[in-house]
Amino acid sequence: MNAADNMSRSPRALKIFKKTSERAEAEVRKNLESLTGREDYSPDFDYFIELCRGDSSPESIEARTGRAVMRLLCIQAPIELIHAAGFHPYKIASGSQAMTNLALQGLPALMCPMLRAVLGAVMGSESGEPSGVKPWILPTTCDWVVKFPEMLASSGTDCASVHWMELPHLKDGDSCQALWLESVFGLKKFLESLGARVSRKPIEDSIRIYNNAWRALSRLAMMRQEGRMANVWFTLIAGSFFLDSPERWTAAALSINPTPAARSSPKSARVFLAGSPIFFPNFKLLHLLEDAGISVVSDDLCSGERIFPGAVTCKDTSEFGMISALAQRYHQGCLCPTFIDNDRRINNILSRREVTDFHGVVFHVLKGCHPYDLESLGLEMKLKERGLKFLRLETDYAAEDSQNLRTRIEAYHGTLKG
Amino acid sequence: MRAISLKIGLDLGSTAIKAVIAEGENIVWRGIRATAPGQESVAKDLMDEGLSSLGAGIDSVSGVASTGYGKKLYSSADKHLDEITSNAIGAFILSGKEARTIINVGGQDLKILTLDDAGSVTDFKMNDKCAAGTGRFFELAARILDTPLSDFAGLSIDSGEEIEINSTCVVFAESEMVSLLARGVKKEDIIRALHCSVARRVSGLLGRFADTGVVYLDGGPALNAGLASALEDELMTEVRVLESPQFTVAFGAAMSLDA
Repeated sequence: MNAADNMSRSPRALKIFKKTSERAEAEVRKNLESLTGREDYSPDFDYFIELCRGDSSPESIEARTGRAVMRLLCIQAPIELIHAAGFHPYKIASGSQAMTNLALQGLPALMCPMLRAVLGAVMGSESGEPSGVKPWILPTTCDWVVKFPEMLASSGTDCASVHWMELPHLKDGDSCQALWLESVFGLKKFLESLGARVSRKPIEDSIRIYNNAWRALSRLAMMRQEGRMANVWFTLIAGSFFLDSPERWTAAALSINPTPAARSSPKSARVFLAGSPIFFPNFKLLHLLEDAGISVVSDDLCSGERIFPGAVTCKDTSEFGMISALAQRYHQGCLCPTFIDNDRRINNILSRREVTDFHGVVFHVLKGCHPYDLESLGLEMKLKERGLKFLRLETDYAAEDSQNLRTRIEAYHGTLKG
Repeated sequence: MRAISLKIGLDLGSTAIKAVIAEGENIVWRGIRATAPGQESVAKDLMDEGLSSLGAGIDSVSGVASTGYGKKLYSSADKHLDEITSNAIGAFILSGKEARTIINVGGQDLKILTLDDAGSVTDFKMNDKCAAGTGRFFELAARILDTPLSDFAGLSIDSGEEIEINSTCVVFAESEMVSLLARGVKKEDIIRALHCSVARRVSGLLGRFADTGVVYLDGGPALNAGLASALEDELMTEVRVLESPQFTVAFGAAMSLDA
């Protein structure tokens, strides 16, 4: 046991964990109260609200889904394959400001707040060990993800069980695609090394299950686009996806009836939301946009419309054919800025504009999320050339910059009207 | 008694509350008070003071618009408008409709606005939550150097030695200034370095290669001619200071009532 390990189990540390957990619960409670108090609240949302309110520890997710949890940090690993092996793919994410404070001192000051919050949550929950032995599946996407196990180890948590998926950051080229396919087969091999059997039928079933979930999310995205669902609800629902079995989540999503979006009026300015992900309970930006009369009608966030890479279609339904289709979909379909040849991002925004009327693009940069930050300037220039108004907002989970953001968002709204 | 023709703009900023009474497109009265708790009552007193000095009553007022961080605190305003749009309207009119690029140095933020030929905002940039290089920074410098802000411009002209202050951070600049004073560096040189340091920060926000043409400077710190001069040197373009630069935003709010 190292020094950090001793520290993480000390009575003082346990008291801090407890206090932080109470603060995190208060964040959740406050945010959910503001949502349930809205004019457009519907009991149809209760299932998702309860998922976000409830215990999100891996143990709790296991109890809910009846499957052992395989932990993820991003959407790059093919969840269908993990599900086909009998596990529940659980993408851990957190928008909790309280949990960012729990992460180990000495981490970089300008660090991805999402991973900082996850580190805090893992440290807090693992003071008693159990989920420390659950495996992580980590594709080599951004630097923060790559260094996550090291940061976790520095905080005294055992992270020996990590399966890396080497992700080629070029999409074009046979060698890159072959390398990624090899990584996906490597995942299958890893899952089988745990005693699972990953065969054709379960893969086919899992692809169907997640395709259904994607269709349910697409239906909600359409409701948002048509002004029948506010963006805060869409984001909450999308963000709750990994907290339960995909079948139950899909059934609940399909049972939502259209309701007019609160505060959305014909005068609302319509925007596309791009950039870093947004996780509950940090809905600061979403509320500020809404308060200013701006409706988000579409997005490309990996916490929103992009939690799935799209429907996976398999012409070849052999085991190899389906795994190849999964690999291709996850590699070619991803818009993550960690990719080098990423023209697909701007093409996606422009093609959405053809079918979804919006006046501008709001680009969210989480402080410390360098890939999105780097990509924002080029995107800004290209979108402005095409006559779209662009607003880049860099922020973190703290509320202290709300007034500053509000000023910018209100002024941006004025430019959209002009 | 005046006819009903007066428009009032209130700018409830982070460090000062500014009020402007306008008739047509002319400022007929302006006043400023430090921001204090009870901003609505401070703003109301200021407004009453202005009307009284003009010999006018509230029945002469056709509308009141509020802007600034505290705009919603003045709940009885006919209109609340964000300070970026207010700034654009005010600066455009006060510049004789010539302003296309405006730099506003406020109490806690820096803003850069670009306007089209009709005076509408086409784009803007604003610092995030850090108050580096803003009015607060100059206030701190004045306190450490024990020198009124109004003397800064004159003193910076007398600077003989070029030194560098690396930080515009309100916290780090304090220790940097204190250590410079301890080393016997002249106040004049420190003040000039402060101006250059803020100018570099503004330049960074503007984008070094942006083709801006003439730049209009407003906000309270624009009263400091030393800052305008440092900006000209840094931006390599003409910098014009608007008349009564700390009232541009309040004036713009008043003028927005016509829209």
